[in-house]
Amino acid sequence: MNIQFKKGVLELCVLSLLTKRDFYGYELVEYISKYINISEGTIYPLLRRFRKESYVTTYLQESQEGPPRKYYRITEKGKETYEELLKEWKAFTIGVNKIIRGELDE
Amino acid sequence: MNKEEFINSLRRELGSLPQKEIEDILYDYEEHFQIGLSKGKAEEEIAEELGNPRLIAKAYKTHYKIDNAENNPSTRNLLTAILAAVSLGFFNLIFALGPFLIIVGLLIGIYGIGFSFSIAGIGLFFGTLLKPLFPRSIYLNFYPTTSLSFGIGFAALGILILIGCFYITKFLYKVTIRYLRWNINLITR
Repeated sequence: MNIQFKKGVLELCVLSLLTKRDFYGYELVEYISKYINISEGTIYPLLRRFRKESYVTTYLQESQEGPPRKYYRITEKGKETYEELLKEWKAFTIGVNKIIRGELDE
Repeated sequence: MNKEEFINSLRRELGSLPQKEIEDILYDYEEHFQIGLSKGKAEEEIAEELGNPRLIAKAYKTHYKIDNAENNPSTRNLLTAILAAVSLGFFNLIFALGPFLIIVGLLIGIYGIGFSFSIAGIGLFFGTLLKPLFPRSIYLNFYPTTSLSFGIGFAALGILILIGCFYITKFLYKVTIRYLRWNINLITR
């Protein structure tokens, strides 16, 4: 799949998961790569940018095993961005599906 | 590649960023490795899944340079940001570079005009005033009131042009940053 296209989708996926609950980085990577074939390293730069653009906030939380984990929580701004991306995505897939299924308006 | 090799390679590739920024970024990968190991994965496996440290570093560096140019305006930071964007392979950016250079050239030209007007005005003004002192070396075939008021007029116009240029420069800087950011978001999001 085209890398740039995938990155746009990745943004949507990460925001979508975060609207459901808070995640730590590894969880996000694990969850997404279960369904989509990605270079896992692309998620962390994305999360960092989300934080800089105030789509998410982070906090550290102790875990039973290993070091404290950095959790990501979505902000209002992040939710708004998610809604916009979702709208774009839906319009896009509807268009693509129409073309694939050959539903021409002629 | 094991954990140490991956982290070291990423650290090396991030080289040009501030130390604090690098440590902050590496923390995420240290955490990632530790959690992966505790789930029974091998270091090599985790590194393999993360991908190429050079490409990962590039994603961080480009965004950092653009943020930096925005927060600390300077020609140098702007050029670094543009170069970083070009190196990521934005061909449309190269096409935009031509018009951009033309605009910058025009702007420099207008700066020159403003500067010359100011100098000419100041020269005319003081030339008129000093004429009685150096009747031989200053040649002015105007009434003193005319040349004095023209001098002030030219100088004022020149300074106005310079002030205008200053605002245009600021505006151009902002627009360029916005354009770069838009470009990057288009491709790396």
